[in-house]
Amino acid sequence: MKLRTWFVLPTWVWMAGLFAAPFAIILAYSFLTRGDYGGVEQPWTLENYQRLFDRLYLIILLRSFAMASVATVLCLILAFPVALFISQAPRRKNLYLQLVMLPFWTSFLVRTYAWLFLLRDTGLINTFLEKIGIIHSPLPLLYNSGAVLLGLVYGYLPFMVLPIYATLERLDPSLPEAAADLGARPWTTLFRVIVPLSRSGIIAGAVLVFIPCLGTYLTSDLLGGGRTVLVGNLVQSQFTTARDWPFGSAVSMLLMLLVTLLVWGFLRRESEQLS
Amino acid sequence: MNRRYFLLGMTGMAALASCGPSKPRLNVYNWSAYVAPDTISNFEAEFEVKVRYATYESNEEMLAKVVTGNSGWDIVFPTYTRIKPMLDYDLLQPLNHDWLPSLNNLDPRFQKPVWDPELKWNTPYMWFGTGIAYNRSLQPPPTRWADLWDSRLKGRETMLDDPEDMLGACLKKIGLSFNSTDSGELERAKQEAIAQKPLVQAYLNAEVRDQLVSGDVLAAQLWATTAQQAVDAAPQQLAFAYPLEGFPLYCDCAVILRESERTQLAHQFLDYLLRPKVAAASADYTRVATANGAAKAFLPEATRNSPTLYPPPDVLERGEWPHALPRDAQRLRDKIWTEIKSS
Amino acid sequence: MKRWLAVYAVGFFAFLHLPLLTLAVFSFNSSRFTVWEHFSLEWYRAIFRDPELVEATWNSVIVAVAATVIATVVGTMCAYALWKKKSRLLTGTLYLSLVTPEIVTGISLLALFQWMFRWLHWHLGLYTVILAHVAFSIAYVVIVISARLRTLSPSLEEAALDLGANEWGAFFYVILPALGPGIIAAALLALTVSFDDYVITSMVAGVDSQTLPMVIYAMARRGASPVINAISALITVFFGILIVISEQVREA
Repeated sequence: MKLRTWFVLPTWVWMAGLFAAPFAIILAYSFLTRGDYGGVEQPWTLENYQRLFDRLYLIILLRSFAMASVATVLCLILAFPVALFISQAPRRKNLYLQLVMLPFWTSFLVRTYAWLFLLRDTGLINTFLEKIGIIHSPLPLLYNSGAVLLGLVYGYLPFMVLPIYATLERLDPSLPEAAADLGARPWTTLFRVIVPLSRSGIIAGAVLVFIPCLGTYLTSDLLGGGRTVLVGNLVQSQFTTARDWPFGSAVSMLLMLLVTLLVWGFLRRESEQLS
Repeated sequence: MNRRYFLLGMTGMAALASCGPSKPRLNVYNWSAYVAPDTISNFEAEFEVKVRYATYESNEEMLAKVVTGNSGWDIVFPTYTRIKPMLDYDLLQPLNHDWLPSLNNLDPRFQKPVWDPELKWNTPYMWFGTGIAYNRSLQPPPTRWADLWDSRLKGRETMLDDPEDMLGACLKKIGLSFNSTDSGELERAKQEAIAQKPLVQAYLNAEVRDQLVSGDVLAAQLWATTAQQAVDAAPQQLAFAYPLEGFPLYCDCAVILRESERTQLAHQFLDYLLRPKVAAASADYTRVATANGAAKAFLPEATRNSPTLYPPPDVLERGEWPHALPRDAQRLRDKIWTEIKSS
Repeated sequence: MKRWLAVYAVGFFAFLHLPLLTLAVFSFNSSRFTVWEHFSLEWYRAIFRDPELVEATWNSVIVAVAATVIATVVGTMCAYALWKKKSRLLTGTLYLSLVTPEIVTGISLLALFQWMFRWLHWHLGLYTVILAHVAFSIAYVVIVISARLRTLSPSLEEAALDLGANEWGAFFYVILPALGPGIIAAALLALTVSFDDYVITSMVAGVDSQTLPMVIYAMARRGASPVINAISALITVFFGILIVISEQVREA
């Protein structure tokens, strides 16, 4: 048997046991009825999916996709230069990588609370700006979409830096040199040579940021002040306070379906362009 | 050579020592910060047992673990509205009053609670209400839910991120019942909430305590216990009011799970919690009101007389115990909650 | 251009570490609330008085290390296999595991375990946490390593095979070293994702398996306590020291 068959076996086992099986359970849940106090019970029904096609929920989905897209693009713009810098560093690459990851080894909740402390009306940033006289009353930095975006971008930067770094690191330095020799200015080299060569890393990073951003709920809860509902909040509330597991499962199913179609369509186009 | 045998010998002895007779165990699953720091260790010392104590943040989290009847926990602390569902799922063991001599320590109000008049399944533990925590600089101070719709509070107030409490406040404001299931009434409550939203800075739970103390927030819908903690931190600055239109009351209760095989030890733990001094220590440390009447004598005077934690009878009269709602009402309320939050 | 990059990198790291620094500073604040009173080490003392915290930290470390090692090994092998022969089904499944909201993964895994344990009479424990962590980390590893693999020329392996190596030799002596930095990047990602996970862990943790995020969340949800700041500062210092040591070792 070929090596690759052995190699792929453990993943199949894990995915079958710890993803496919739970996935089947959630799929089943989405066709059941909610128990009065949480949990699920018979009868089987399509009602949960019918409820989905309400303007309210479709708007929530749209808003979530928009938020995740913007966060991904911002992440990309912020992360790419750093990934480039680290990949080109003559030594201490791992040190820089670890410095990128270091803040993320503390608790996510704690980091978010730190941002709350920084962004509040009486928080560090506003107090500082007032003290040096730039503003006279506090800026509303918190409890709005901007704060949520900041939280998302901040939280997912490493997920963009690492894959891009992993591809850039293999970049043959003679290629940008050749471009420079041929008269290209640095920015041209960047966009015409380096970026296209790191394409697989960019795509990987985009996937690793966009997809979890869709399912996020804590960031929008804490930094958004609970003022908006994203699809992650919706699912979270169905499984907790609303005690409507079947509906929460149906929303999750729809989300997963949409993302799968999106990613599949996008990747298909990518591979078509490559060949 | 000698050193190696020595190390081997020490390792062997250490291994043997750890294999000694192990103490009986009790697994207790409680809300976070609901006992004094030494409550558990004192119990362990006195009864010579080992207690595995872990905490949760919401009833749903606890129920999700417990609902299959195989969670490993002996004692949990559901809010009283969850006791009936737990009975429906056959999750509880009946209490043996012979093993609970300290039961009489309970406050008379909690000796025959509406959710379990014979105390067959639970012992009430801690209770609290919801009201308005506010900054004293607000003159006149808020006394009604309606005061939270005042535009002078724009951007400086918060409401609880809890559908039951938040919708309840809206219902009470327009004079309806907290437990309303009528769709017309709930629709009106929703309109109130949406009208209020521009004034609300955020929907926050216990996190708002910091913001009250630092002055970011001038008024917040808050539970009495968190409010008490905030007032403790800034007594000159903050105060708490139970709204005149009425407010909800909640009580967390101790129950023994049917899956537990350590029934007698579990009873001993419940009885231990009912001791006046133990209950007083927990109540004082956690800043929650205890259901234990005898414990009040052991509370420091400031705590005992706190109008936030122990409101006088005329105030308490305005409080009501919310019911668990039927399925359709629950679903309607949840849809309304989603609509409010995404408007 | 290089200079701008360096300047940007400095700014980037500053932005990244700003919340941490704020936390560290306020961990020395004697007041419970974020109004500065005076310098105090009280919160650090409080950490060591709390045996629950120490045990939770230890559990977190065990889970994170175990899950990272397993996920990195399994994920790297999987990425290689997919590189040799695509499988839409497996790739799709891996993506799906990424998009599933954490609460859904947590509840479904809990349901699965509870259903299985009814027959087996087992209980939830640290091992269920590790199993769950590997399950959601594999996708991250596969994606990062696949991106790296795509930059490798297939002729690399062909050359090795032509020179007489068998498949395993080609993988172990040629491909794997070429993947080196990618594997490190993937492992770091898996470690991060695992160490900080709360939702899924809290759902599948057993009676004896509290982890650090669970303890921190409990404290923080009640209104941030500076003990958390102190814990975070300590974690940062600890990892910082580890990083410095590993750098020294590498340079030696």
